[in-house]
Amino acid sequence: MLNPTKAVAALDTDFEPKIVAFLCKWCSSAGSDLAGVSRLQYPANAVPIQVMCSGSVSPMYILSAFKKGADGVLVSGCHPGDCHYMKGNFYARRRLYLVQKLLGFIGLEKERFRMSWVSAAEGVKYAQVVDDFVRDIKVLGPQRRLKARR
Amino acid sequence: MVKVEELRLHAAKLLEEGKVKGIIGYRRGTAGLYAEPCVIDRPVDAAALIWDPGCVSNLALYLVKDRKAQAASKTPDKRPLAVVAKGCDSRAVAVLLQENYFKRDEVVVLGVSCEGTGVIDQRKLAARLKGRSASKVEFDGADSFRVTIGKTESVVPATEIMADRCLECRAASPALHDTLYGEPVETRAYAQPFAAAKAAEAASEEERWAQWEHHFDRCLRCYACRSVCPMCYCPECVVDSTSIVITPETSAEEKASRVRWCERSAGSGESAMYHLTRAMHLAGRCVDCGECERVCPVNIPLRLLNTKLEMEAFEMFEYQAGDDITQASLLSSFRDEDPNAFVR
Repeated sequence: MLNPTKAVAALDTDFEPKIVAFLCKWCSSAGSDLAGVSRLQYPANAVPIQVMCSGSVSPMYILSAFKKGADGVLVSGCHPGDCHYMKGNFYARRRLYLVQKLLGFIGLEKERFRMSWVSAAEGVKYAQVVDDFVRDIKVLGPQRRLKARR
Repeated sequence: MVKVEELRLHAAKLLEEGKVKGIIGYRRGTAGLYAEPCVIDRPVDAAALIWDPGCVSNLALYLVKDRKAQAASKTPDKRPLAVVAKGCDSRAVAVLLQENYFKRDEVVVLGVSCEGTGVIDQRKLAARLKGRSASKVEFDGADSFRVTIGKTESVVPATEIMADRCLECRAASPALHDTLYGEPVETRAYAQPFAAAKAAEAASEEERWAQWEHHFDRCLRCYACRSVCPMCYCPECVVDSTSIVITPETSAEEKASRVRWCERSAGSGESAMYHLTRAMHLAGRCVDCGECERVCPVNIPLRLLNTKLEMEAFEMFEYQAGDDITQASLLSSFRDEDPNAFVR
């Protein structure tokens, strides 16, 4: 008979984190595309969600992702100064800085929310960001704090 | 010293001259020493106005309520409304003006100074009285309150029964006012600004989560914090999602797939979503009037979430809510020097 405690332990060792990645259409999404067409090997844990601009990422998207059980949330946009809409990523930077501080304040592990600037030419950087993120989250294990229990 | 008599006379004069349609102020209610908010629209009633440390509520809320009532009314009364405002209330009015919720000439601010102290905390006073009930609390200089219990009057150090936010307050007299009663207070000698948020931050990550999980778990989702907040003026709150019109033609799929950011069940995950969203929506707008924490039936320290963001806004972006009605709001402005090191 299957021992339930052992089954859980076995699950934890080959835990594959689920990462929600909000990628801006103009830079990071194209960057992730480049990583793909360049056939770079990087973990397949990030679920990309294309948004029009990192500045359009509402804090509610991030909270909602955590609530629905995401182990990590990545928001990625154009480098400062390169925004397609001129200043969307500056707004995003200020707003998401506060989100990050707030999540840290209530005691969510600070590694779980990350922001990055990835341009359309930086396929390698995107692969690196996801690789680092997955590695860090594998150490932390599944996110249970903000996940809604059903 | 605030001369309440002057305030009453001025209020009566404003009403007599028809300059305002009403005065939002405090009067003696049925809740003992705690004043009740009231709207006065006859000059004779102005004699009921009071100002003492029991005037805890934030009256800016009633300006918002009036605004909503006028917007819904077929015959709106366009005359301005006067409001008795302490330091934090006047900051709330300033934020509402900054957001163009109403215009400067639609509100007359009768500023009252907190006399160097502040208002009392009901929980702290109740703990101190040990079951007895006080009938009156008065200002007594910059360090103490005079508390009357039965027929005996005693002087209580202000720091022992003052509300936490008053201890941390940086501007105890209303900066935005048309008339000011009492002397403006320049410096404050109590706790450091953001002392409570800094103390909460000092705990480890596990301890902080244990605390907040406990708080979120207890939340009843009565939304008292939202109802009492002068900044929560949206006609429809994002957590309610009531604007979907359900007709006989609405398919089950449409009903099921409407966006619900937050479920109504009061689980800790859903409550966390609600409170964090509220904190983010108040970032750079919260004036730290402490009303959310005061009305919470299960004593969740909601002020901490807001003051944490207030602290970040002040320290990283040099932004203070209600400081200047012409400044761009915190989240609709940026600077090139904003922190960038946290981004990879």
